[in-house]
Amino acid sequence: MQVLRPASIADALAMLAGGDARLVAGGTALQLEWAKGLPKPRSLVDIGQIGGLKGIVPAGNGLRIGALTTLGAVERDATVREELPLLAAALRATAGPAVRNLATVGGNVAGRTGCLLPALLALDARVESSSVVGRRTLPLSEWLRQEPGGEIIEAITVPVPDAHVRWTHRKIGLRAAFTPSVIGAAGMIEIVDGRVAAARLAVGGGMVTPARLGGAEALLVGQPFPGVDWNALRAAIEGEIVAPDDAFRSARYRRKVAANALVHGLGGDKTDAQPSRPSAPAARPATPPAGEIRLTRSTAGERWHIRPDGPAKIEGKLRYLTDHRQPGMLVGRILRAAIPHARIHSIDTSAAEALPGVAAVVTYRDIAGSNAFGIVVQDQPALCFDKVRYVGDAVAAVAAVDAETAERALGLIQVRYGPLPVVSDPEQALSPDAEPVHAAGNLQTSLGFERGDIAEGFARAAHVVEAVYETPRQMHGFMETEGGHAFVDTDGTLNVCAGGQYGLRDRLQLSRVLGLPEEKIRVVTSPTGGAFGGKDELTVQPALALLALRTGRPVRLQLDRAESVLAGAKRNAMKIRMRTACDADGLLLAQQVDVISDAGAYASLGPAVLETALEHACGPYVVRNVRTSGRLAYTNNGVCGAFRGFGANQMAYAVECQMDRLAAECGLDVLEIRRRNMRKPGTRGYLGQVVALSERLEEMLEAAAADPIWQKPRGPSDDGSEIVGTGMAMNYQGNGLGSLPPDPAGGALRLAADGAIEALYGLDEMGQGLLTSIRSAVAAALGCGRDDVRPVTGDTGRAPESGSTTASRGTFVVWKVAAETAPALAERILARAAQRLGREPATLAIAPGGIVERHSNSGELLLSFAALAEGLDPEELPFAATSFEFPKSDYFEGNARMIFAFGVALARVAVSRITGQVRVLDLSQHTAAGPILDLAAYLGQIEGGGLQGVGFTLTEHAAMQDGRYLTANLDSYMMPSIADAPESVAIYALEDLDAGDPFGPRGAGELGIGAVTPAIANAVADATGVWPHAAPFDAERLLDALGAAA
Amino acid sequence: MIETIAVAFRLNGADTAMQVPPEMRLVDMLRERLGLTAAKKACGIGRCGACAVLIDGRPVNACLLMAWQIDGADILTPEGLDALPEAAIIRSALAEENAFQCGYCAPGFTIALTALLREHLEADEPAIRAALEGNICRCTGYHSIIRGALAAVRAMADRSAPQPTHG
Repeated sequence: MQVLRPASIADALAMLAGGDARLVAGGTALQLEWAKGLPKPRSLVDIGQIGGLKGIVPAGNGLRIGALTTLGAVERDATVREELPLLAAALRATAGPAVRNLATVGGNVAGRTGCLLPALLALDARVESSSVVGRRTLPLSEWLRQEPGGEIIEAITVPVPDAHVRWTHRKIGLRAAFTPSVIGAAGMIEIVDGRVAAARLAVGGGMVTPARLGGAEALLVGQPFPGVDWNALRAAIEGEIVAPDDAFRSARYRRKVAANALVHGLGGDKTDAQPSRPSAPAARPATPPAGEIRLTRSTAGERWHIRPDGPAKIEGKLRYLTDHRQPGMLVGRILRAAIPHARIHSIDTSAAEALPGVAAVVTYRDIAGSNAFGIVVQDQPALCFDKVRYVGDAVAAVAAVDAETAERALGLIQVRYGPLPVVSDPEQALSPDAEPVHAAGNLQTSLGFERGDIAEGFARAAHVVEAVYETPRQMHGFMETEGGHAFVDTDGTLNVCAGGQYGLRDRLQLSRVLGLPEEKIRVVTSPTGGAFGGKDELTVQPALALLALRTGRPVRLQLDRAESVLAGAKRNAMKIRMRTACDADGLLLAQQVDVISDAGAYASLGPAVLETALEHACGPYVVRNVRTSGRLAYTNNGVCGAFRGFGANQMAYAVECQMDRLAAECGLDVLEIRRRNMRKPGTRGYLGQVVALSERLEEMLEAAAADPIWQKPRGPSDDGSEIVGTGMAMNYQGNGLGSLPPDPAGGALRLAADGAIEALYGLDEMGQGLLTSIRSAVAAALGCGRDDVRPVTGDTGRAPESGSTTASRGTFVVWKVAAETAPALAERILARAAQRLGREPATLAIAPGGIVERHSNSGELLLSFAALAEGLDPEELPFAATSFEFPKSDYFEGNARMIFAFGVALARVAVSRITGQVRVLDLSQHTAAGPILDLAAYLGQIEGGGLQGVGFTLTEHAAMQDGRYLTANLDSYMMPSIADAPESVAIYALEDLDAGDPFGPRGAGELGIGAVTPAIANAVADATGVWPHAAPFDAERLLDALGAAA
Repeated sequence: MIETIAVAFRLNGADTAMQVPPEMRLVDMLRERLGLTAAKKACGIGRCGACAVLIDGRPVNACLLMAWQIDGADILTPEGLDALPEAAIIRSALAEENAFQCGYCAPGFTIALTALLREHLEADEPAIRAALEGNICRCTGYHSIIRGALAAVRAMADRSAPQPTHG
C-alpha cells in the first residue's frame, strides 16, 4: 500500500483514475472496511492536503461547508447551531465525539450510508463535486441517484430555511448513542397561511438507501396545518420507504419507526392511545428497614476511601499484563479455525516457519502433556488436532519479531479442512440424528430435581401462567481483551502472566497441557482489566506458554477485539420454560421448569451454570410441588461459560416475571404476592439444605415498598411519545462454588522487611476493588492503618491458595483471612516489639504506623513497623497464615449453596411509542450482603452490575447463525453507552447480621445484576401490559404490543 | 521492503520525527514503537474511546488515525496530560470519586473529559454525558464517572474563583 498526496483536485482525480485507489479524507471508515474484509487498495489518495476544502462560509441564502470540514467543526459552528438546528441535531447523532473530530462532511456524504444524509436531504442540500469532465453542483437527492465514483466532493451547500418551518430529526439505532443506524428520518415542512406550503421528508443512514419520500410529501403539501391527516401520512411514509432486513432489525420495523418518528416529530401525536394498565401497586405506607443506608460518597464520611490503584489507572501509569514491553520480546498470534465444524486433514506450517522474523510456529504436535483443558471436564484442545468445533478454535500459534510479521505468518499456515455439518441449535443438537460435536454425543449435562407432586399442584390451581424465557449470549466485554506475556526464568521456571481469575487453577491446567510439574510454572493474573467470569477459564495461556517454552524468549500476545469476540467465552444462551400455579390467594402450588442451555463447542463451566440456574429455580419462594429439568447441549456455536450471575440472573428473569403475572391474575399487589410466598428465615433451603443465618428477604420487601420510585410519574409522558412504568424483582444469589466442588480458601499476613504489612491473597484484582477491600479488612482486624497494608495478589509465586475470584466469594475470603490471621500476627509483632522495647507485650498495641502503648490516648508511636522490621532477620519477620474451605452446606445430591445475599431491584422505564425501545429512567437497588468491607467498591459492584444487567436486558446479544457470529466487534455488539445509563441510580445496603452469624461479609459481585432484567420486564409490563419473554427485549414486538393496546 | 513515510509531529510537547509504514496506526505507533501504553487498544475500530488522544486539543481515536495522517499535528497522549494543570484537577477528582474500576478505559475518559472541561468550565451533566458518548466503560455503569466529572467541574471552579485576599 502507498499513500499519495495530491496537491490539487485535478491531481487527485488523476490518481484515482490510475485504479485500485481510495480517497482518504478523515479516514474513519478505513478500519471498519478492512475489518469487514474489504480489500486494501494499492493506493490511498490523501486529499487532506488540498487547500480550500475546509471551512464554513455564507453562500447565497445558506452555508457552504467545505468537504474536508470535520463533523466536529460543523457541530461547534455557531451559525450552524443557530441557523441549521436540524443539521446540528443530525451531527450530534452521528458517531461519537472523538470520531466526529476526524470524520468529514464530504466523507459522510460520499459513502452514501452516512447518518447526515436524511437531514441534508430534508434541508435540500446541494453537492459540489469535480470529476475529469468538470465541476458540477447537483441537489443531493439527484446526486444520490448518480452512479457513484470518479469524482471528488468539494463542498455541501445547505440553504437556511426561513423561520416558519417545523422540523424533526431522529436516528433510530440499536442503543441510545454512538450506534449503527437502523434508520434515520428527517423532515421539514413550511407552513404559510395555515397550510403546508412545502414539505421535505427523507430517510437514510446505514443500510437504508437515502431517499426523499416524494409521495408522502405530496400528500402533505396544501393540507391545512393543523388538520393534517396524520394516519394517512403515516401509512404513506410506511408504504414508500425502501428498507432492508438484517440480522438486527426487520425492514418492517425500519419503515414503521421512521414513519412514527416523522409523524410524531412534525406534530402528529399519537395521544389517542391509552395503554392498558395491569395491577398498579397500591400506595403503601411503608418505612425502609431500620439500618438501611443509601451508599453515596457524601454520606459515607470516613468510610469513603480512594482505591489505591485508582490514580495510577487514571493517569495511564498502571501497567496491565498486556502492557509489558521489553527489548527482544516476541509478539504472538493465534490461528483460529474460522470455520464452525470441520475435520482437520493436515496442518502445514513450513511456509510460516520459513518467513524471516518468525521465531516459532506451534501446533498440537508441540503439546507434551494432555491436549485438553476445561475447569469441569477437559474437553477443549489447547491446539486442535483432529477437528475444529467452533470458529474461534485455536489451531496454531506463531511468535515473531513484530505483530506485522506474526500476522503474515498466520496467513502462511496451510490447514486443510473437511467441513462437517454445523450444529447451531441446542434443541436440534439433542435430536438423535444430529451431527455429534463430541464423540460421546451432544448432551453434555442433564439435571433434574423433583419434590412433591406437580400434577396434584397444577390440578388444584386457581391460576396458571406459562412462558418460555429466552436469554442472550451476552459477551463479557471486558475492556482489556484476553492477553499477557510469558517468559522462562534462568532456573527454567515458566512464567505466564495473563489476565485471569484463579492463578493456581490456571497453573494446574497449564501443567496438564504442557506436561510440566506445577512447581515449574508461575502464573501471574493481576491486575486484570475486567473479567466478569470471562477470564475464569484458560484463554491465551496455553499458546503463550508453548511459544515461550519453544523460543526461550519473552513473548507477548493479546487478542484484538475481533478475535476476542470470535474466540472468547460468552454467557450460555438459555431457554427457560416455566409453568407456575397458585391458588386463589396467590399461594404458589406448583412449578415446572425446563431449561435448555447452549454450551457451545466446549463445556467450560456450562454444567455448573446450568446447575446454579436450577438451584435458583424457585427464587426465594416456597413451592411445595416442583419439578425441574435442565439440559446442556454441545453445539458449534461459540464457547460459553462463567458470567456474573452464573445462571441465577437468567432464572430470576423467569421467576420474577411469573410472580408479577400471577399477581395480575389474582388481582394482588406485586409486593403482597411475594410476601405471601417468601421463604421464612430458619427454614431449610430450596434443595433441603442448611442455609446461613441473616436472611433479609422480608427487609428487602419492606425496602421495596418504601422506595420513592413508586411516587414518580407513570403512564404516558408529557409529549405522548413514551409510556412510563415501574417494576420490581427480588434478588437472591448464592455465594461460593457450592457443596460439591472443592472450594479452598486462605491467605496470610506478614510484616515485610520494609515495614509494610503484607497481605497475601491468591485472589485477583480485576477492577472490583480487591486491593481496597484487603486494606479495609486487614486494617480493621489488625488495628494498623490502611496505608500500612500492602496487598500481594494474583501471583502463584508470591501469594497462597485463596481459591477463585469468582462466585461472589472473594469478599468473604478477604474478611475471613484477615479475621483469622490478624490476632496471630498481632501477637507475634507485639512479642518482637516488646523484646525490642524491653516491655511486656500486654502493655503494647498495634496502631496505624506501628506500635503504641496500650490504652494510651496520645497515639504516640513507640516503634514504627519499619523500625521493627529493620532490626529483624528475614526468618524472624512475623507471619501468620490460614486456610479453610469456603462454607459448605450439608446437601450433596446436587450442588447447593449455604450463604446467600439478598436484594430487590426496582426500575422505572419509558417505552417509546415511536420505536418500541425501552429507556431505564431510574434504577434502584436494595441489597443485604452483610457488613460492607469497602463502601465505594461495594457501590461500584452494584452500580456496574446494574448497567451490565441493563445491557443483558435491552441491547446485548452476540447472535449466531450457522455457527458464525453476526457481530464482529463493538460496532454492532451493543454494550450500554453512557447515554444508556439510567437518569438516576440509587444503591442501598442493609449491613447487619443475626446474632451468632459466623460468616461476616457476603459477596456483592453478582448481586448488582441479579434482578435487573425482571425489574425492567415488570416495569415494561406495567407500562404496556406485555411481558417481554426474550432478552434483549424485541423493540418491534413491543411496538406492536403498544399498537395493539391502542 | 515496505516503503515508509516520513512524519514529523509534536508528541507530548516534544518535536518528534519518524518513518512509518503506510498501514501503521497511531495507536500502534504509540504502544508498539514508542512504548507509550497509556492509550489502550480495546476495539481497534473507533468504537470504545480507550485509545483517545488529543490532537490540537481535541479528542480523537488513535486507532482510526493512520500514523501518516499525524504529520504536523500536536499530539497529547494520556501520558502528556501530566503537563496540564487542568488534567491534574480532573484526575484527582476522578480518583477521589473512585470513578473507575478495572481502569482500562480511564485514560480515554480522562482525555475526553479534559478536552471538554478546558473548553467548557461550567459543563453540566447533559454536556458531560454528550462528551463521553464515545467512551465505553464496562465496569462502572458510568454514574461514578459522571459524579467524578461533576466534582472536577466544581474543583475547576474553586480554582478559578477569585481567591480571598488577606491584608
